[in-house]
Amino acid sequence: MASYSENMEQAISHIKQQTILMQRSLTQKKLMDALKHSSDMLKELRNPDLSPKLYYELYIIIFDSLSILSQYLVENHPTRHHLADLYELVQYTGNILPRLYLMITVGVSFMQTKDCPAEEVLKDMIEMCRGVQHPIRGLFLRYYLSQRTKQSLTSDILLDKKFDVQFVITNFVEMNKLWVRLQHQGPLRERDIRTKERKELQILIGSNLVRLSQILDDSFPLYRDEVLPQILEQVVQCRDVVSQEYLLDVICQVFPDEFHLGTLAQLLDSTLKLNPDVVINKVVLSLIARLNGYLDRQDDPSVVIQNLKQLHLNGSTDTKATSESNVDSAENKADADVTPTNKVDLFFVFWKYLTKITDERPDLPFHEIIPLVHSIMLLSLKWYPTNLSNIEILYKFCWEKYQEFGSTIPEECEQSFKEFFEYPLNTESFYEIITKCDSFQKLLSVQSVALQKDIINSILDKIIETNTKISEKHHLEKLGAICEPVIPVPNDKSKVSKLTVDDELDDELTFLNPEQEKLAKIVHLIYHKNVDQNTELLLICKKWYYKGGKQLRYTYPALITEFWKLIRKLHLKSLKIPARKEKYYAKIKQLFKYVSRCNADLFNICGLSVSDLLFKLNLQTAAIADQLELSEISYDFFSQAFTIFEESISDSKIQFQAIVNMAQVLQKTRSLYNEESYYDTLITRCTLHGSKLLKKTDQCRAVYLCSHLWWATELSLIGEEEGVTQYFFREGKRVLECLQRSLRVADSIMDNVQSCQLMVEILSRCCYYFIHGDESETHVGVKYIAGLVELIQANLKGLQLEESGDTQEYSVPAQNIVIGGDGSYICKVLSSSVCKVSNKIPNVRIPDLIAVPVSYFERTLNYIENQKQVDDRFNAIVT
Amino acid sequence: MLLLALSDAHIPERAIDVPLKFKKLLNVPNKIQQVALLGNCNKSASFLKFINGVSENVVYVRGEFDPTTITTPKNSVEELPLNTVIVQGSFRIGCCSSYTLVPKNDPLSLLTLARQLDVDILLWGGTHNVEAYTLEGKFFINPGSCTGAFSTDWVQEDVIENYKTGVHRDSTQTTTTDTDEQQVEQKEEKKEEESLQESGKNDEEKTESTEINSNSVRNPELNENEGDSSDDEFDDIDINGGGIPSFCLLDIQDITCTLYIYTFVDNEVKVDKVVYQKD
Repeated sequence: MASYSENMEQAISHIKQQTILMQRSLTQKKLMDALKHSSDMLKELRNPDLSPKLYYELYIIIFDSLSILSQYLVENHPTRHHLADLYELVQYTGNILPRLYLMITVGVSFMQTKDCPAEEVLKDMIEMCRGVQHPIRGLFLRYYLSQRTKQSLTSDILLDKKFDVQFVITNFVEMNKLWVRLQHQGPLRERDIRTKERKELQILIGSNLVRLSQILDDSFPLYRDEVLPQILEQVVQCRDVVSQEYLLDVICQVFPDEFHLGTLAQLLDSTLKLNPDVVINKVVLSLIARLNGYLDRQDDPSVVIQNLKQLHLNGSTDTKATSESNVDSAENKADADVTPTNKVDLFFVFWKYLTKITDERPDLPFHEIIPLVHSIMLLSLKWYPTNLSNIEILYKFCWEKYQEFGSTIPEECEQSFKEFFEYPLNTESFYEIITKCDSFQKLLSVQSVALQKDIINSILDKIIETNTKISEKHHLEKLGAICEPVIPVPNDKSKVSKLTVDDELDDELTFLNPEQEKLAKIVHLIYHKNVDQNTELLLICKKWYYKGGKQLRYTYPALITEFWKLIRKLHLKSLKIPARKEKYYAKIKQLFKYVSRCNADLFNICGLSVSDLLFKLNLQTAAIADQLELSEISYDFFSQAFTIFEESISDSKIQFQAIVNMAQVLQKTRSLYNEESYYDTLITRCTLHGSKLLKKTDQCRAVYLCSHLWWATELSLIGEEEGVTQYFFREGKRVLECLQRSLRVADSIMDNVQSCQLMVEILSRCCYYFIHGDESETHVGVKYIAGLVELIQANLKGLQLEESGDTQEYSVPAQNIVIGGDGSYICKVLSSSVCKVSNKIPNVRIPDLIAVPVSYFERTLNYIENQKQVDDRFNAIVT
Repeated sequence: MLLLALSDAHIPERAIDVPLKFKKLLNVPNKIQQVALLGNCNKSASFLKFINGVSENVVYVRGEFDPTTITTPKNSVEELPLNTVIVQGSFRIGCCSSYTLVPKNDPLSLLTLARQLDVDILLWGGTHNVEAYTLEGKFFINPGSCTGAFSTDWVQEDVIENYKTGVHRDSTQTTTTDTDEQQVEQKEEKKEEESLQESGKNDEEKTESTEINSNSVRNPELNENEGDSSDDEFDDIDINGGGIPSFCLLDIQDITCTLYIYTFVDNEVKVDKVVYQKD
């Protein structure tokens, strides 16, 4: 008889054919023929050239066929045959492999009958299986044994659990040996193929452990004393990387969590004895993932943690010791060990393991230690989220290891370090971790700059996102230490801007870089309900911002805002408790000094590039001081603003905006009308500056706007009301003087369009005052307005003459261009709904330009007409 | 056509960010055709990125704390103008940050500017207080500060008054109880009026209960005066000057402009609607 087929197709068809023949024989009750056919098909499994995958395919088909046989055997026992006899009979099958398959089939069928000496049959079968030592054949044979005995072992009450367990373990051990041997078959260059094939077969070996956990059910002592030690012994002894990694993972997966909790030390200890090539952290990580998952699956995790204390977690690996002595030795150990943690916590077990592994395996590279530590951190954060000393211990451990390993951190560690630092940021206690764990910062500070920046960004994001208030001094200091690398910005101009403008402008163009923006936001999170302590925190913050050099232009304004807030807070307090006003005001004054100091720092370090910002900051601070009736302080800040204006603002456009802005702020002050005539000094100076601006158009606008400085208007915010409030600072005579002066400038402007435009603007101002009061007060009367209207009309006529004769050719849409509040030309362009704004005269047709003041004048006249219906006084204006 | 008006974000120098609920509301790409940033919004790259995500068409005007030029996705250097005009439908819409407006926040001076720019709608910022009104047939809209940033303007009178009388928002807890009780009081008073009309009998009882309520309102204040009040909590809104986070959305259809005012009060977004028609 031929032994086995040459290829798969033939093999499969042969098996199928034999199966049909076998079934036919069985229906004819010809058992011997059936056995012959079975034996015949089993020969196919002898093919040594099959890959594990193909072998598995054949095995499956044969398994099904033999099931039919098995069923027949059981049903017809003992009427047609006695299975004991059959068991003897099949021993005579010619070939060993078919013989053993048949023997197992018969043997297991036999075991299902009542009169079977099951234990002996099992022992016999497993003993006989030794006869096949070819790895793949042996593995499948034993897998067959394991699958066949499955039902009988779990259901049969006759058998002792201990025996069952031993049976499976023995089979497992043998299978693993075969599996390992598979690795060493064939030529050396096919090693990788072997490894791949082995991984395809791993499930056969793993199934034994699944069986074990099913049989064990909840018998923990059996597991701890018998099963686990034997399994681990095999795992350690085989010294095979694939096997060790796989099996430890399976152990972690298949046995109940409670078992793991009870045998942690054993399990971990075994990892110390593994092949050095095994990636230990994989094993530990899967174990920790398991334990963390366990906590998630519980209804009440706190109870579990409580119960842990009753488990003998630190139980020694000595399995022969009774459980009582286990406790003792565990406690002795724990006492002897000088570790800072609770002796019955999980963290302690892992921590001990960590120190042990680094002692015993000095060869372990740094980049493998980090993930290990990282996984222990996961455990600690999960099980003991409040115990942050654990986290500190871990970071400290890494810090010490880092020092041992020398000054450079290998690149391959970068990613693991990144995860190591980032993970805690996503936990609830992230803020405590970064502020309380000293080693976190130490370890971070030795990382590459890029990584540090990454982590710092994440930290800042997290603090901002969770709106964590920073109210402890040492927290802030710690944070400052962590952020130190990003405070000063390295001078890399290359990516900042491609422009060739000078340095100062160049700086202004750039946005804040993201870190600076975040740093600036941090100051808003500083909060202490006690103002003094809050101030102290801000000053600490100021100190570390100061290190940023030129960057403080971004960070200081935020700091100043916080000082302003404190000032306002104290102000509100003083309103609430008037008795303490003096005390509070002393503090307020101090705070103004800090603001002033910030301004000085800004100027000293950033120079001219921040002059506009500084000017504004001084104005705003002056306004706040004025609101608190601190006229002297307010005056000082206004003076500062003037100094900056005079000395450092050179751009004419900025100058104009600055002086108008100052007029706006001054116009809203209320406390400066005192005997020293602060207000008078300031507004005169402001107007004077306005009249000295470089461009005549700017002069004209600044001066007519400054006229408002002599005409205080209601501040509805503080309840002032026109006609109700008793006193407003108003000097109509000076208002008129300003308007006249401004008109003279307008008149002297050579550009007719500009000149007319400005006159209409002044006319608008006149209307403003006209509405505001009687001529006796405002000095802006009917006569003046009428005169102005006449002047404008005359000038416009002159302007329209410029258009000469070709007017008809243009049909100009009147609203194409308007002139903005600062004299800029705002033109509607066809391509966009948004107008184009330009400071230069745009390239348009002359009539378009002329239309600007003309239509503006028309609008103003219209307005005056409309006012006549509301206000009788307007009727006197004849237009 | 939807136009979003935002102003005075002051990120990062005065505020951390726009309320998350605002961001979620605005995070609808391709819905809003135009954004107008009315000053003090141009320091934070992350904020501008967010805005550019809302709409590609962004109009900027300069606020007093803005740089003179910025980098935008469209231009590497874009000068920030003081005023600008958007033409939409039959509307001309003026934009300005009001720091060069003298007097500030004065309807007449705003009207003067609106006339000069020949606009129907004037969007302005700088005051951190959301408001909208019509004057002389023109529509004036101030979207307030989208972050509720600190304002250096005068603190609103009612805040000051509250502190003087002691009924300020002390902490979040007392805030709720205070307002609850005030609401209760108001309800009681309403009931009182009703019952007054119906019969005089219940009247006395009601007055009694309101008295009890008003006592309980004053109680926390008394306790504080006894203790060291240097440590008490203050409401951020008060310290910031009374402004709350807000922004405006304009729906412009031909001659109708529907204005939606979004405000952020007690962690909730409120929306008000005003309709303006050009005549």
